[in-house]
Amino acid sequence: MPGSDCSSLKMKRLRPILSPMRGAVAIFSKDLNSELRTRYALNSLIMFVVVTLSIILFSTAGETVSPSLSAGILWIIVFFAAMSGLSRSFVSEEERGTTMTLQLWVEPSSVLVGKLLFNSLLIYVLNLMIIVAYMLTMPSFVVKSPLIFLITVVMGTFGLSAASTFIAAIISKANSKGTLYPVLSFPILLPLLMGVIDATRLSVEGATFGEAAGDFKILLSYCVVVTTVSVMLFDFVWRD
Amino acid sequence: MKKSWMKIAIGVWIAAVLVVGISMPIGHIPGLGAKARIIYFHVPMSWLAVLAFFMSMWYGIMYLRRKDMKHDIKSASAAELGFAFSILATLTGSIWARFSWGSFWNWDPRETSIFVLLLIYGAYFSLRSAIEVEERRATLSAVYSIVAFVTVPFFVFIMPRLMTGLHPGEGSPAPILNANGKMYMEASMRYVFYASLLGFTFLYIWLFNLRSKVGILSYNNHSEIE
Amino acid sequence: MGSLYNFLNTHSLYIVLIIVLVIWLGIFIYLYRLDKKVNELYEQNESEKENMK
Repeated sequence: MPGSDCSSLKMKRLRPILSPMRGAVAIFSKDLNSELRTRYALNSLIMFVVVTLSIILFSTAGETVSPSLSAGILWIIVFFAAMSGLSRSFVSEEERGTTMTLQLWVEPSSVLVGKLLFNSLLIYVLNLMIIVAYMLTMPSFVVKSPLIFLITVVMGTFGLSAASTFIAAIISKANSKGTLYPVLSFPILLPLLMGVIDATRLSVEGATFGEAAGDFKILLSYCVVVTTVSVMLFDFVWRD
Repeated sequence: MKKSWMKIAIGVWIAAVLVVGISMPIGHIPGLGAKARIIYFHVPMSWLAVLAFFMSMWYGIMYLRRKDMKHDIKSASAAELGFAFSILATLTGSIWARFSWGSFWNWDPRETSIFVLLLIYGAYFSLRSAIEVEERRATLSAVYSIVAFVTVPFFVFIMPRLMTGLHPGEGSPAPILNANGKMYMEASMRYVFYASLLGFTFLYIWLFNLRSKVGILSYNNHSEIE
Repeated sequence: MGSLYNFLNTHSLYIVLIIVLVIWLGIFIYLYRLDKKVNELYEQNESEKENMK
């Protein structure tokens, strides 16, 4: 039997069974399958968005919301939806006791990449719904520069899921998981949120591409930096 | 910092900075007057908050490399002092802002930055208190401080796009610092300012050594009992 | 409150003095907390010595 004595276990720990690429794809499809089967995350997230959006609509009823304020409100919904949706991505592995199995089978970096891919997909789908619902219900939120808005959403969502996936991995090893998650994520995500809100405001105000280019540079470098750092540091969090 | 004369020198040095900083006449500074003297005391506090933030990350990296608990204790000590100094920078700044800008808090870019720094320190300590296993606590808090340190510089780029600065040197009248970050202080004022920075930095190093020694002692005591 | 505000506005050097006072208080509170920690350590060590005897 392989794995019955200590030395072969160590061998496996050093060289996981799946190659990095296949490992990442395997993790991604595992999470996608379990989500498609239960629809646990997506269903509760849709309810969350409906509740939040209706509270905002009740409180702004009859008021004229300025474009910059409506840009901010949109990203508040997105931020808290991501916070409640992604907090369980690593906690669930700890609770089910599947962390060890994953450590044996795949490279740490491919666990992160797989989880990141799934989480981004989840948040992209969610954001699409949020934005459609928001545009339909918020009369003052009219995007005048669709290209700027599209790039903002694509990059902002990726940066959001990159940072929150990594923080979710840290959280899964701590005791008070639920409350700690937004506390740890907020300072890390704040520069991203500020950039995204500014770019969204520009797109609502109908700015030219050149005006938003500065924000895009910041968003792009944020995504690159956060992804690189999380891939580099994930080993320490995962194999602890 | 082993020799006691250095500590006495720090005490005398800071006392001298206090006396000179308050009593030495400064040239007429439009719009600020005597309030300009805050630069001797408030700026060192924010500088120490940033320095401690850097040192916390530095010892975090050292811990991840060497896995020595001493580095983790040093990282936590630096963060604790940094938290204390950022509170001091915030308090002194907002007392001053009440009289110069009209209200205690104005969301000026630097106020926002120090607010974020406070948030990060708060998050760092709540993470530490949520983990009981020592090695795990050390690893995760080191990782968090590195991630936080990497994202903070983005504020430097994003902030000016969102708001205009109120700090002296950022608005249109630039009495002390101009837009290029060049000093427009009188030479005598500049010397006192640098002397104050130096004195408070050494005070910080002393406090840091003291705090980490206490931390290491209590760690040793704790592991002896077990 | 209004008269104090006016006083400080005209004698702005006192604002700087308040700031220095705040810094001193901050350092003092930090030292006080550190002292508490050292005392705890000392007590621990003493009680351990008692147990050794």
